[in-house]
Amino acid sequence: MSEAAVAVPLVPRRVPPIVDHLAGIVAIVIAWQVYVTATDAPAYMLPAPGAVGGALADLAISGALWRDLGFTFGNVVFGLVLGALAGFALGFVLAKSPTLERWLDGPILLLQTAPKIALAPLFVIWFGFGTTSKIVLIVSLVLFPVLVATIVGLRGVPQNALELARILKLTTWQRLMRVELPMALPEIFIGLRIGAVQAVVGAILGEWMSGKLGLGHLMTFASATYKTPLLFAAVLLTVALGIAVHVSLEAAERRLLRWKQ
Amino acid sequence: MITIEAVSKRFAGPKGEPVDALTPVDLTIPAGQFLSIVGPSGCGKSTLLRIIAGLETPSDGKLTIAATGVARPIGFVFQEPVLLPWLSTLANIRFPLDTGGVPRDQADATAHRLIKMVGLQGFEDALPHQLSGGMRQRAAIARALSYDPPILLMDEPFGALDLLTRDRMNDELLQIWRETKKTIVFVTHSVEEAAYLSDRVVVMSARPGRVRAIHDVDLPHPRGEATKLDPRFHQFMATFRRELK
Repeated sequence: MSEAAVAVPLVPRRVPPIVDHLAGIVAIVIAWQVYVTATDAPAYMLPAPGAVGGALADLAISGALWRDLGFTFGNVVFGLVLGALAGFALGFVLAKSPTLERWLDGPILLLQTAPKIALAPLFVIWFGFGTTSKIVLIVSLVLFPVLVATIVGLRGVPQNALELARILKLTTWQRLMRVELPMALPEIFIGLRIGAVQAVVGAILGEWMSGKLGLGHLMTFASATYKTPLLFAAVLLTVALGIAVHVSLEAAERRLLRWKQ
Repeated sequence: MITIEAVSKRFAGPKGEPVDALTPVDLTIPAGQFLSIVGPSGCGKSTLLRIIAGLETPSDGKLTIAATGVARPIGFVFQEPVLLPWLSTLANIRFPLDTGGVPRDQADATAHRLIKMVGLQGFEDALPHQLSGGMRQRAAIARALSYDPPILLMDEPFGALDLLTRDRMNDELLQIWRETKKTIVFVTHSVEEAAYLSDRVVVMSARPGRVRAIHDVDLPHPRGEATKLDPRFHQFMATFRRELK
């Protein structure tokens, strides 16, 4: 018997994972349709998949889809970037100054554990009904995970790497950008991933509370007017937004941390 | 030239009591000399090297490094090769030049020359984790040489390598020293390494860390297999070993 005939693949050949994902989604949609048809559920309770698709198409045609999705997406990205920068800057200062860290440890723990969501109404009072209060909410949600991750990351920079920087007489800026930041980046990305999830939550929440724009506003509007297919469409768009943010962050991480394999 | 005058180092012990890591040391290292410091762990040999490097401040005494007009007079090779894991071999070697404002093409030319010198051709684009321990240490040595510092300080650089690699690295280091005429201060716990490489050997002993003896090793250069058969080489090793006890 030849060698090739003996060789049995250890793992059965599989289709690419995307096919599995899609198959799962298709199964759910079919089950959903079957349930709606069988129970004759009223559309305001559980609309059929087709009705949700129709609502999505209407949104796209009227242009509301791009306006609301764009508004929420813009806030998420802007808040995420701003919160990450602030978290990193503050984390850097705290990691470098033990005195400051001792002083601010208490307040930071307090702010970190306090549910920022509870502060959301206060932000509306302070910063108004417009974009500012929404951005502030997102920044407050993103800042702390990034801050904590930055401190952990910078603390973990090996002593001998810092000594190398001293031997080479690097400036503080060079040491930060070319040694410490890359070393701390894996930890910082952990904070960023937590922050990104929070950013989407914060954006939607901010829109629930005030304003006339965004997916969050679309949801409260649809809910108040019993436009359940529209509500489903808004939820789907939020999910898509969350996935898009997650996937782009993961792509950035894969690119920047390629050296970690 | 490196002048060390009554340099000492005192640490706070576990109960806050002062511990002498290094009792006052006087030592003058002329330019171009290969000096080894040999001693058991805890004798303060690494502390002395780190004081020369400016990584530790002496508790007392005076250190003078005569290297006028050089921005970065010291190259340091750590016990483990401290390579930046996200940079390729070439970029790691070029790192001091990139951060020192040397033009890109000039830095590249220097790095390529050093790659050849330490025998890492073909691994220019490899990341540190793709190299063996010996290759990583060679890259670290090339990096320390890249900005051409007049003084090279090495802290047990070959301690983690197997004996064969270590022997080869010793010969490569001697060749680099011959070609570059640098002052080298080499810390080791191996009497053989000290005798084989050095012009002068400082023997240290522990608790408290102090200089036990200083020897001129006047074995002929260039050194090689013949040196290891020289009876005087073995005499030096026996002397150092006796003094370490």
